[in-house]
Amino acid sequence: MFVTIETWQITLFSVAVALGSTLVILPFGIALAWIFARKEWPLKAIIETAVLLPLVMPPVSTGLILLEIFGRRSPVGEWLYDRGVEIVFNWKGVLIAMAVMSFPLLVRAARTSFSEVNPRLEQIAATLGASRWRIFFVITIPLAFRGIIAGSLLAFSRALGEFGATILLAGNIPGRTQTLSLAIFNYVQTGREHEAYTLLSITVMIAFASVWCSEWLLHSTKRT
Amino acid sequence: MLLRCRIPLPDFAVDIDASFDARVTSIFGPSGSGKTTILDAIAGLINVNEGEIEIDGRILFSSMRAINLSPQQRSIGYVPQEGALFPHLSVLQNVLFGSNRASGLTARARIETDHVLAVLEIANLLDRPITKLSGGEAQRVALARAVLSCPQLLLLDEPLAALDVALKEKILPYLSRVRDEFSIPMIYVTHNLSEVLALADWILMIRKGRLLAQGVPKDVLRSPDTIAQFAEEQLENVFAVMIIDADRVAGRTRVQLESGQELFVPYVAQAAGQAFQVRISPGDILISTKQPEGISAGNIIPGFIRRIGRSDGQAMVVVDAGAEFYVRLTASAVDKLELIEDHPVFLIMKTHSFRIL
Repeated sequence: MFVTIETWQITLFSVAVALGSTLVILPFGIALAWIFARKEWPLKAIIETAVLLPLVMPPVSTGLILLEIFGRRSPVGEWLYDRGVEIVFNWKGVLIAMAVMSFPLLVRAARTSFSEVNPRLEQIAATLGASRWRIFFVITIPLAFRGIIAGSLLAFSRALGEFGATILLAGNIPGRTQTLSLAIFNYVQTGREHEAYTLLSITVMIAFASVWCSEWLLHSTKRT
Repeated sequence: MLLRCRIPLPDFAVDIDASFDARVTSIFGPSGSGKTTILDAIAGLINVNEGEIEIDGRILFSSMRAINLSPQQRSIGYVPQEGALFPHLSVLQNVLFGSNRASGLTARARIETDHVLAVLEIANLLDRPITKLSGGEAQRVALARAVLSCPQLLLLDEPLAALDVALKEKILPYLSRVRDEFSIPMIYVTHNLSEVLALADWILMIRKGRLLAQGVPKDVLRSPDTIAQFAEEQLENVFAVMIIDADRVAGRTRVQLESGQELFVPYVAQAAGQAFQVRISPGDILISTKQPEGISAGNIIPGFIRRIGRSDGQAMVVVDAGAEFYVRLTASAVDKLELIEDHPVFLIMKTHSFRIL
């Protein structure tokens, strides 16, 4: 396998942005998963479905929606542009596309593990004088920890493999927004199959490692 | 303590109005009568529709005055049936979980950790993971955790229910010690009569969310109304006995009740003089008005009828035969034998109907 500087750059960029997107969605994903697991309100199912939608929608459609939201001619895009923040066709677009597409995976895994935490433990902690925050950080999060980490790894893998939404929101600009999947597509299109296979091998290795870790964590959760 | 609350449940509503001031108050009733719901209401873990909950003049909940303290503010130690220890924390971390609250108290009100560990004999367990504790150890740790939060009131929800009979007998003394060593009033939920008699000095009898009777356990448990309730409930006769001799060949052990009355129970490989408890279900005892002859049962004991309680075609007859035996009969059997109070009768009990505790 011949690894060029370009290949390294693409790999590093993809891993860095995927990691960034996972870190960005982590607090929101945990909060939402906890709310889904513990709170009931009318029309909850609609919100839950909306959050899970990117999982089943064609990624290109999600990308199009994101482009409509963050494009310079939209109110949000314009507002951000006026403050010097540009989303479309740069790394921030890549990060947002990855974040939106991987968010449902994190929420789903974290929600399941929150549901498995016995609410009685939280109640007893409250009778012992623990504040809500202490209960959340000392009881709930540690007990749901494996599920949250497994969900994060899944989200990271999904982010790394993102293609459809990214190409619409961030384009496929070498050295600027080109991720592993976009580069593979590009290499195949331009007949540089050797490079494509190199990137493919790297993708397989990273994806295998993270899915394996995630599965291991989920199964060891069930054992305990 | 004042406990007046109304809580609707799917099948019935818990509707209690009681006022008591005892060291240990037992909430006694069959499974599914709303006992845990009452504890949850006191601890502030569920919504109460209306009512008032007050401890030592401190209002925890009052629908009229719109007061509803959070579980954190109530200062109540709760030991649920399953113990609910935090499985990811060590025994020590569990035990000290609520001691933050205690640190705000004056030195006099604070309960010393070492004292609690000594009373409950758990000092040697502190480094163990929760998953490596036995059922009895876990209950003692849960008890220590609740006591060390220095609560104003301790709620115990059938703390012995999940334990096997042998273990129950071992844990009961720890509960008595907690009662005697730390002056925290307790509310003790159970459906076991012998636990009530061993621990409680006040009893609230609950059935389907309603208060049937309250008072000193011995009085309440002897009232005809209460006995009538027992006709429909799981109740067992439990006696402390001492071995006279154990005959392996005959397959039986001769034991003596505290009154001196002798009984035959199944063979146990133990020496004379050993003390233990035996148990017999009220449904396993026969009553005869004449001394039976040519019968295989090992125990035929004379006695007198003390009380008869009836409910829905069932009757619970209390017979004094050296100890008080509760005997479950149908109402028609009571009529057929013309059983009345002070009537002499014979109790017939198979050796094998006794279970050794």
